[in-house]
Amino acid sequence: MHEEKKAHGFSRRGMIRAAPFVPLAAISAAAPAAESAFSPSQLRLIEALVDRLIPSDESGPGARECGVAVYIGRSFGGALSGEKTAFTAGLAATDALARGRHGAAFAELDAAKKDELLTSMENNEAAGFAPDSRTFFNRVRQLTLEGMFGDPFYGGNRGFAGWDLIRYPGPRMAVSADDQKLREPIKPLRTSAHGGRHGG
Amino acid sequence: MAVRMKPVDVAVIGLGGAGGVAVLPLARAGLKIAALEAGTWIDPRSFRPDEIHNNVRGWPSSVQKANREVPTVRRSPASPTLPRAAVHPMMNAVGGTTLHYWAQSWRLNPWDFQPLTKARERYGPGAIPVGSTLEDWPLTYDELEPYYDLVEREIGVSGKAGNVQGTLDPKGNVYEGPRQREYPMPPLRSTGFTEHMAQAAKQLAWKPFRPPAAINSEEYQGRPACVFHGYCSRGGCHISAKNSTAVTTIPEALKTKNLTVFDRAHVTRIATGADGRVTGVHYLRNGTEHFQPARVVLLGSYTYENTRLLLLSQSKAWPRGLSNNHGQVGKHYFGHWVSYGAGGVLGLFPFDLNVWYGTPAQGMVVDEWADDNYDHTGLGFIGGSNLHVFNEMHPIQAAGMDTFGRAPAWGSRWKAFVRENAARWNAAHIQTSSFPYEDNFLDLDPAVRDPLGDPVCRITCGPKENELRAVEFAQKKMEQWYLAAGAIQVVRRPMSPPGVSTHAYGGTRMGDNAGTNVVNRWGFSHEAPNLGVLGASVMGTSGARNPTLTVQALSWRTAEHLVKNWKSIAA
Repeated sequence: MHEEKKAHGFSRRGMIRAAPFVPLAAISAAAPAAESAFSPSQLRLIEALVDRLIPSDESGPGARECGVAVYIGRSFGGALSGEKTAFTAGLAATDALARGRHGAAFAELDAAKKDELLTSMENNEAAGFAPDSRTFFNRVRQLTLEGMFGDPFYGGNRGFAGWDLIRYPGPRMAVSADDQKLREPIKPLRTSAHGGRHGG
Repeated sequence: MAVRMKPVDVAVIGLGGAGGVAVLPLARAGLKIAALEAGTWIDPRSFRPDEIHNNVRGWPSSVQKANREVPTVRRSPASPTLPRAAVHPMMNAVGGTTLHYWAQSWRLNPWDFQPLTKARERYGPGAIPVGSTLEDWPLTYDELEPYYDLVEREIGVSGKAGNVQGTLDPKGNVYEGPRQREYPMPPLRSTGFTEHMAQAAKQLAWKPFRPPAAINSEEYQGRPACVFHGYCSRGGCHISAKNSTAVTTIPEALKTKNLTVFDRAHVTRIATGADGRVTGVHYLRNGTEHFQPARVVLLGSYTYENTRLLLLSQSKAWPRGLSNNHGQVGKHYFGHWVSYGAGGVLGLFPFDLNVWYGTPAQGMVVDEWADDNYDHTGLGFIGGSNLHVFNEMHPIQAAGMDTFGRAPAWGSRWKAFVRENAARWNAAHIQTSSFPYEDNFLDLDPAVRDPLGDPVCRITCGPKENELRAVEFAQKKMEQWYLAAGAIQVVRRPMSPPGVSTHAYGGTRMGDNAGTNVVNRWGFSHEAPNLGVLGASVMGTSGARNPTLTVQALSWRTAEHLVKNWKSIAA
């Protein structure tokens, strides 16, 4: 295995250094935090961002409809709490950018203006971000993928729409040779790895 | 005052892939062993088919001791330190990273043990990479073969032999060194995708075969066969069909009652006497200092921590660090040049590959371009690459695909692209022979410290012409393979030099010359005779394949040597 996760600009290190020793069993048993870490206005901004990254269209429901903002809010209330300050600063910088260029909060703009701002963030041409706008854009994009295509247990991928979109047939505890044939679609199994139907 | 533990014959630091094997021959011989492991026992029922749990959040590695000691990386002594990795790629646990690894259990090629002699013979002295500190290993493939054979049976490896005592079988790897017998289990079953790739390889006149794996293809020693559920990479096995040392050699050693496992034991120093001999191990457990006296210490943490612990263990007898009077600790370090993912070769196909399930070792490989299996005249490099395609794809990973220049990275056009193609791409795994160099090394970082205030390990590892050329050559072969299999597009991404790696070698290299090697041919220190070192830190070359089985064969051999020479080593 060879992935080398690079630090993404948000100080995971600070969190890790400060973390007390936690027994593994406690981590394993921990359910995701039920509450969002963000205020209603922050959540509205997150919804507006993820809605442009994966819009609702003829391909199916988008990130907003699939609960991606719920996934992100819960993540920062739990596993990503050490990164929350940096992420919140990125949200504030996004709104500051929107107000500076178009005189309104990001969520209030029309789709074309939102896309224009996202494009300049992606191209690292937007000021006011630490360390830079591309880092924040990439973080939002990665979290959007996680919420859209991760297990619904964590609050996103509502109705398994993310898995339906890419034809992922779902986790199952045993896989036969027939389930591993080239070209042949497998009947999807729509359950969470944590049991039950989540995200409905 | 430290808690003084009852003296033992052998203290083993780290109970992972290496230490977890070494304890078995020691325990069977009746030696009393204290194993000091920074992690805990992990309940197999806590492993889940959940990408966020295993891969995104890195459970359980993310809460480990190792994660607070992630090494720093720079490309040369004059270069700035790169952004530090957020997560250590290895984990602390009883069984270590063998709990969640890909379990590819390769023997090295005979060439990998004698590259200096063999390359000079075939291509002349100019073939040796400039600036390299390459040496032949102090042992040959044939000397290690009995230990490969033994470990394959003790832990359980599935595979198909290609060379049994000189008789070749093209269903296996005809380029491998001679084996005394067949694998203990047949190879993992192939899939629609791997069979398709095998047919394409045959069209190219290559000889594809299924790679060996420490994963049960059938019931083995009371543990069930793999169910191919597709969450093996960075996920532990909930049915113990993956043969980590936690379910194989460690339980066997515990049966003898000669092994005591101390989990959550955070080793801080190796203790020595005025004569320089090792006397035991200092560790923290539950916030309390402990001292474990031992007549022999086997250091079996990971490559980075092996070097760090030796350098930190300074004393009057060892002013530069334990076993470092020749200044060789940390030298001859190299990461494996593994071309995969963002620095690898990707293929896009016009049909669904259905690689969601299975495990990476359930793959198809070719060795035509590995080691010295082809004529390198005029190529400008020595060594070669194993080309590997495989199963197991997770949904976030699939949707996070490279868009092959055909779509933007977000929005409706992106969504339509992944709808069509997320099930239709594949990333090859290419491992290339990697070598040690004068200016690639490990030392202690002068600025970055762990929570105890000790410096972390610092990696200095820059680009090398030999490896860059070898990787490019292999990537072109891989492109050829994907195109032969019907890929509509292939991208090749140039590879950066390895950083913090799961395939990290050297730092305590094994060799007969005490001036250039830390341990002797048996794995014991040239300078501190009752200190042994286990792990890929003793290896002087990587070969073109995963290190674990070689590490385990060497660990068994070091432990057996200790048993046979107990009186002289323990003095």
